[in-house]
Amino acid sequence: MDRREFLTAGGGLLLAGAAGTYAVRLLTQAGAVEAVTAGRHRWGMVVDLRKCRPDCTACLEACRLENNTASVGDARWDVHWIRKVHVKPKNGGAERSVVLLCNHCDHPPCAQVCPVQATYKRADGIVIVDHHRCIGCRYCMIACPYNARYFNFKESEEWPNKEFPKRSHGVAESCTLCAHLLDVGKKPACVQACERAQAGALVVGDLNDPQSEISRLVSENSVKRLREDLGTEPKVYYIGL
Amino acid sequence: MEVKYERIAGNSRHYYLALAAFAAVGLAGVLCTFWVLGQGLWVTGMYNRVPWGLQIVMAIYYIGLSAGSLVISGLYGVFGKLEYKPFARTAVYLGMLFMIAGLLSILTDQGRMDRVFVQPFVHFNLLSLFSINPMLYISYILICIVYLYALFRDKKKLTRVVATLAFAWAFGVHSGTGAIFGFGPRTLYDSPLLPASFVVAAMASGTGLMIALLVALFRLTRRHLDDELVFGLGRLLALFVLVVLYFLAVENLYLVYQVEWRAAALYYLFGGFHSVIFWVGLIGLGCAVPLFLLFYPRTSKSIPWVVTAGCLVVLGVLCERYVIVIPGLTRPPEIFPGMEVSGPGLIEGVASYAPTLVEFCQALGVLGIIGFLFLAGLKVFKLLPAEARIAKQAGPAS
Repeated sequence: MDRREFLTAGGGLLLAGAAGTYAVRLLTQAGAVEAVTAGRHRWGMVVDLRKCRPDCTACLEACRLENNTASVGDARWDVHWIRKVHVKPKNGGAERSVVLLCNHCDHPPCAQVCPVQATYKRADGIVIVDHHRCIGCRYCMIACPYNARYFNFKESEEWPNKEFPKRSHGVAESCTLCAHLLDVGKKPACVQACERAQAGALVVGDLNDPQSEISRLVSENSVKRLREDLGTEPKVYYIGL
Repeated sequence: MEVKYERIAGNSRHYYLALAAFAAVGLAGVLCTFWVLGQGLWVTGMYNRVPWGLQIVMAIYYIGLSAGSLVISGLYGVFGKLEYKPFARTAVYLGMLFMIAGLLSILTDQGRMDRVFVQPFVHFNLLSLFSINPMLYISYILICIVYLYALFRDKKKLTRVVATLAFAWAFGVHSGTGAIFGFGPRTLYDSPLLPASFVVAAMASGTGLMIALLVALFRLTRRHLDDELVFGLGRLLALFVLVVLYFLAVENLYLVYQVEWRAAALYYLFGGFHSVIFWVGLIGLGCAVPLFLLFYPRTSKSIPWVVTAGCLVVLGVLCERYVIVIPGLTRPPEIFPGMEVSGPGLIEGVASYAPTLVEFCQALGVLGIIGFLFLAGLKVFKLLPAEARIAKQAGPAS
């Protein structure tokens, strides 16, 4: 190896090393998957299925009216941030009704795969979409193991809540845990509706606050989360599942 | 070995007709896309349960075809097989065009196409394969441009370096594309074999296409093409198809054997229309028939039959891309393992997907655009060799 080749190789190695260091820094910063929650709220939800009446749809309606989710009269494109399903064991057992919504996972696969970081996890644990940045690739919908994410295929004509924006077609979305209400000290629409319906099955609160109702419910009851084996660390806890 | 490259005359009526046809189809696709952009994606067959459809299938298919054609030029540029030098320029140009086709297919599938030109570059996410892959695709196109420059200027050392880089990059590109699905939590996607199987299927489809396309091009432009060159590619194609079959066998046997995944495997293999596409399109027409044609002595030494095998593999890999994407979405995610989940609307349970006319229009439109660019390129650039013969000299290769 002559001197020129040595210098070229050395320069190349230096460049590669610098690029590699930069890449590692980018890698650990990009993605916004982890969040520092100490000293902040850490929002979670408890769904008490013992109190949820199978025929009641109060939370579904309230969510739609509060958040202007697309309602175009076609099951293919209607968006349901919160929904109710019937679950029956395959080999005998009673059918029961379960409320499903975005679990605001601590390790959200949707945020991990978003190519433009439009879906991200806030410091208070809420997983939310920046609708001005979303390019509508729908990879987050593929990645969500709970089928909790939706896409605005068609805009609806209605705009029930003028104090909250309507999304244009072409962006993905899911339940925001009514972050716009939580941020001003109010309860999410579904929680309020469930209270008005005299059920009180839905509770949203601060998991970082040991005195909060949700922390008490989680520590005193046998709670279960969906697909705990996946490692997503969902923050919706079910009692009576 | 000196190869004389030429432009095609490109002044026949047929040539201009073909050019116009591709342009018309391409324009139709562009207009269709503008319409979809204005209406919203509800005009496609996709919906909240099946958010990816034909355009994504075509995107990964075109991307696969792009690396395949690079195999041919890699035979010359990387492995030094001079008998394939005549095809190098055409192969790299085609590889570049197919990568553009893949990007166009992805682009026209986005909900907010307008943001795609800025957001992914300003706010990328290195943890997302949808962010990494477009970087790989675009850099692949740039490498192809440099590769073409090296081939056109006959810079042998640069050719060697860029060919090797392109070859390695193709592996990265295809593994990355396979990983979009393989590294995902859907039962029928999640597989560490998917990146590798994607690479092999890409090479198979690309080789099959090159066989058919080269024979057609040389015949149409009355250029000499040594039969033995085609048979050599045919043998390579047979090898790739065997490896594709191997990966398919391992993946599916694993899913069937494991109790945990058996229900998913049975759905995939026998549970829907996609199963017909799998068995008839992929296994039957895409693998079994071509393998027979390429091994049976009477057909393996016949140009029309080898071309048929190539076309069948091209069709078969399209079927393979379809069964990679769609069944994983039509089968519901296991929110409650071991339970039957039902609900109002179409969110729960097994879904179905059928592309609409709009999606076919967009898919054909992409093909129209690159078909036009390819035909025009044959006339503008010196892509095709005057002839393709296996040199008989015994001296050192030049």
